[in-house]
Amino acid sequence: MASEMQNSNPTILNAADLPTRLRPTSSNKLGLFGKGLFAPTLLAAEGTGLPFTDSYSSADSDSDGDLLEEPIDEQEIYDLVSTISDPEHPISLGALAVVSLPDISIRPTLPNVPASPLRTVTVLITPTITHCSLATVIGLGVRVRLEQSLPPRFRMDVRIKEGTHSTANEVNKQLADKERVAAALENGTLMAVIAKMLETCQ
Amino acid sequence: MIMTTAKPTAQITFLSDLTPPSFERTWLTAPHPTLPLVATCSSDKTVRVYSLTKFELLSTISGGHKRSVRTCAWKPYVQGESVLATGSFDATVGIWRRWDGYNRTEESTESWEWNSETPGNNRLINQEEDDEEWRFAVLLDGHDSEVKSVSWSPSGMLLATCARDKSIWLWEDLNDGDNNFETVAVMQEHEGDVKCVAWHPVEECLASASYDDTIRLWREEIDDWGQVSCIRGHAGTVWYVDWEGVANEPSTTAVTGDYTALFAEWKNQHVLSGPRLVSCSDDRTVRIWRRQPKEQQSQSVFGGTGIPSIIRPIGTDEAWEEEKVLPQMHTLPIYAVAWSKRTGLLASVGADGRIVVYEEIFITAPRQNLDAGSPVDMSPLPYTEWVVIAVLDGAHGIYEINHVTWAKRTDRDRKEKEEEVLITTADDGSVKVWAIAR
Repeated sequence: MASEMQNSNPTILNAADLPTRLRPTSSNKLGLFGKGLFAPTLLAAEGTGLPFTDSYSSADSDSDGDLLEEPIDEQEIYDLVSTISDPEHPISLGALAVVSLPDISIRPTLPNVPASPLRTVTVLITPTITHCSLATVIGLGVRVRLEQSLPPRFRMDVRIKEGTHSTANEVNKQLADKERVAAALENGTLMAVIAKMLETCQ
Repeated sequence: MIMTTAKPTAQITFLSDLTPPSFERTWLTAPHPTLPLVATCSSDKTVRVYSLTKFELLSTISGGHKRSVRTCAWKPYVQGESVLATGSFDATVGIWRRWDGYNRTEESTESWEWNSETPGNNRLINQEEDDEEWRFAVLLDGHDSEVKSVSWSPSGMLLATCARDKSIWLWEDLNDGDNNFETVAVMQEHEGDVKCVAWHPVEECLASASYDDTIRLWREEIDDWGQVSCIRGHAGTVWYVDWEGVANEPSTTAVTGDYTALFAEWKNQHVLSGPRLVSCSDDRTVRIWRRQPKEQQSQSVFGGTGIPSIIRPIGTDEAWEEEKVLPQMHTLPIYAVAWSKRTGLLASVGADGRIVVYEEIFITAPRQNLDAGSPVDMSPLPYTEWVVIAVLDGAHGIYEINHVTWAKRTDRDRKEKEEEVLITTADDGSVKVWAIAR
């Protein structure tokens, strides 16, 4: 990483001001997770760190008929990505307002096929400064986090929010390129950076 | 009279999975040029070879690549032996060899004519030893980053490889029994990852598709390989290109009356232009491209015999134009398109998990006068239209489909000799075989 920070004095939001779910959910379980590189470790970490772990405490709940998948909403997506750390600050993407609840949406991927379970999750990223070269890494971190946490019926659409970055199109094209993302997941150096960012996710 | 609606008239029916599947993402499945086999590339760093007769795994090629195997291609015109090129995210290309003998253990009902006379077939191979039979021949080292596609020239002499490093390498197989390959050319005109390379069906002309949204064509002129055309039109990464078969014709079932003269005119124009290209893109479109005929090139460089020719055209620059944008049927990026060399049908697949099959039909359209003020000339002109004949949603459940290809049908339920199957390859490691019922 560069020794000089690109944004040494970012605006940080008060944790109390960040959006949270008003009513407690019965479970934060997200169903069967993907086969990503770090899926097993993330799963383990999540099992211990969740505020509501009913389904984990009773190991048999799955066979008890708990077959309905918990609906996944924008707040849940926010909870997944807001705790990712910025690559150059020990501060969460939520606190830096790089990700925010109004910039997250979930919609049917194939609106013309009502029966299709496919859903597209759109996360718009607001980099802390317009020329931040780490925007791609942050975007990749968000995409990796979602791919490893959400069931495979979700399609990720992670983009830079319009007008917030000088090379947004370039970054967006990279983040949308499945093959490049897959190759990045096999790149040890890059994945070490991403793993560090995801360390703070619970 | 003329069917131009997108009302599906055919059905994509499931035949079988190739089992057992990979447990990780599979990228591409390549049908063998002569044997009833396919090779499937997987993120688990291996290539699985399956039987298209029994839909079972025959062997797994492993140990050669350090990262995902992204692509592979069978070398054509090899006698008694199968030669496979593999391209990996580890930036290398592997060449693998195996004596043909699968159909011994397969008890295939089909006898492959040339095979019975070749020495490779006389070896009796136990199923248990099959995995040992793939011999790693050579590693082609040259690319700086992930290899995305490999393709053998129609004669099998040249291997084209491309990578994220924006380059295309051409390697000549010296066929010296020592597995030596020589670098013939490195082309670096693309301004982004080169996603796909595909050779013309009979000429030594290479097409490439790229992250820079262009398709480029490459030919050799006086010992120098160079770009002869740069096709712009797609508004996003071009993921895949495929060529039309040399003798392809549109379907004439939709025309009534005497169309013989017009059809002959279409065929004549088609011979002048040569095989067309099809491409698919992140922009959710499938497009057909046609070369503008040159006066100097008016005679066909191939006699329709299907025998590879290395006759070079006169002059280098080629003008390619967009002939058609196919009916837009995909909601997400389209990763692969396959143009059947037997039936002329097109199939496309992508991130939306949908398989779409298109057919080109011959129709006669009134000649439109370009000058809006003058009356329309009603004399007909040869014209074709692409119609969607089948759509299948969720072909691999919720998973994205990375590749589609046509292959000769060889299972026991095959009805006609030239019947074809579609093979699709998906993110969950599954590979499925489909029949098209008309």
